[in-house]
Amino acid sequence: MTQKEVLDELKAIVVERLRFDPRRAADMTLDTTLPKGVEGSLGLDSLDFIELSVAMEDRFGITVEEGQDLSQEFHSFDSLSRYILGKMGPS
Amino acid sequence: MTKPRIVVSGLGVVSPYGAGTKTFWAGLAAGTCAIRPITLIDTEGFRSRVAAEVPADVMAALGVSARRARADRLGLAAAREALADAGLGPDDRAEAALVIGAVGGGMLEGEAWYWEETRTGRPSPRITALRSILPYTHAETLGWRLGLGGPKETVVMACASGAASISLAADLVRDGVVPVALAGGVDALTRICFMGFNALKLLDPEPCRPFDRDRKGMSIGEAAAFLVLEEADRCRARGGRALAELLGAGVSTDAHHVTSPAPDGEGMVRAMRQALIDARVGAGDVHYVNAHGTGTLQNDRTEALALAKVFGSWSVPVSSTKSLVGHTMAAAGSLEAVATVLALQHGLIPPTANLASVDPEIPFDCVPITARPAPLEIAVTNSFGFGGQNVSLLFGR
Repeated sequence: MTQKEVLDELKAIVVERLRFDPRRAADMTLDTTLPKGVEGSLGLDSLDFIELSVAMEDRFGITVEEGQDLSQEFHSFDSLSRYILGKMGPS
Repeated sequence: MTKPRIVVSGLGVVSPYGAGTKTFWAGLAAGTCAIRPITLIDTEGFRSRVAAEVPADVMAALGVSARRARADRLGLAAAREALADAGLGPDDRAEAALVIGAVGGGMLEGEAWYWEETRTGRPSPRITALRSILPYTHAETLGWRLGLGGPKETVVMACASGAASISLAADLVRDGVVPVALAGGVDALTRICFMGFNALKLLDPEPCRPFDRDRKGMSIGEAAAFLVLEEADRCRARGGRALAELLGAGVSTDAHHVTSPAPDGEGMVRAMRQALIDARVGAGDVHYVNAHGTGTLQNDRTEALALAKVFGSWSVPVSSTKSLVGHTMAAAGSLEAVATVLALQHGLIPPTANLASVDPEIPFDCVPITARPAPLEIAVTNSFGFGGQNVSLLFGR
């Protein structure tokens, strides 16, 4: 998968699972930041991140470690999609 | 020391008629019954299959993200309207108290999560559905989104919650804890509420008929309604408008039974008398009673008994707006407070819909079918919840 393809999948997840407006998802890019409290971010809270993680595991066939601090990885769609691609390994 | 006067300086509503106080009043004044076939939950095989839902197109146009629980969406839209109606800016909001009557919370979404787990036998990943499941989360959401910086309270008093929130907020203002408060109730339709009342055989299969001799129970509704309360001099000084005055409030508990009211209406009588004493108003000065009026056999009969003890039979017009918009649970007390304020403002008594022949045990003019013009100066609104939790609010023009 390319990073662009991973981004499109993530955008589909935030619409289907986190109930974001599809029109808003259309404006999301790799630079879009995620966590609540970051100016201009999607404002995701801890429950959103859990639901997002479960959806990522289903969609990309990866396992998200529960014991690690992944706040850097979940900072933006750019860092998150790199994390996912790293987990998936070379295709 | 003279008691500070508490005025209502802003109103906000999302009701089964739609968004906004004007829409709400237009529906009440026209006597339009908003109780229709239910769409939100599956009711196959149920005793009743009608409710007063907020229509889908109204929900979509509220300007609140669909990521939020349905009840929070109703609450945010109604609260925004009330604050704007009062003209409260950021500085006023920063010191305003928030008091919310709540029962169902985000249970509608929580139920969907639970059903998915139960039916699939697998843990549901939709954990965000549980974010707003507890009643106090409305206050979290509204306080944060609207910049309300004063004390934040949640009142859970069954069907009297919305009215109790107004009484508590008035106390906070009257005691000088805060200069201004936003108070009201929120409830969205939920399966547990609908199915619970259905199982108790307390739902009318048809739209409810309060006070009718053939009434068969209540109809469930959903809504949010908020009032801005502030001290009268402060309201005037900042250029606000006093829409009505909260003259008095009475709160009592039957201490009798988990669901049934005390059969002699003793707790209801105490709540109404307390409100009259608090307001220093005589029973004969009250021009209209917006009844709790659920449409159940027991409530209407007991409430009529209590009303007769306080006001005397055939003494004052009594109507139930639940016949128009259903029983909106935790929102009902505040929605009916708004209805009462609007009735005073417009000099028009909202009718009791669906009322064909009045129960002979209800010795009151129940204003059937059609709204009635009347010079109204003082009106009472009653909220009597399960567990014998009674609140009476007394408003003046």
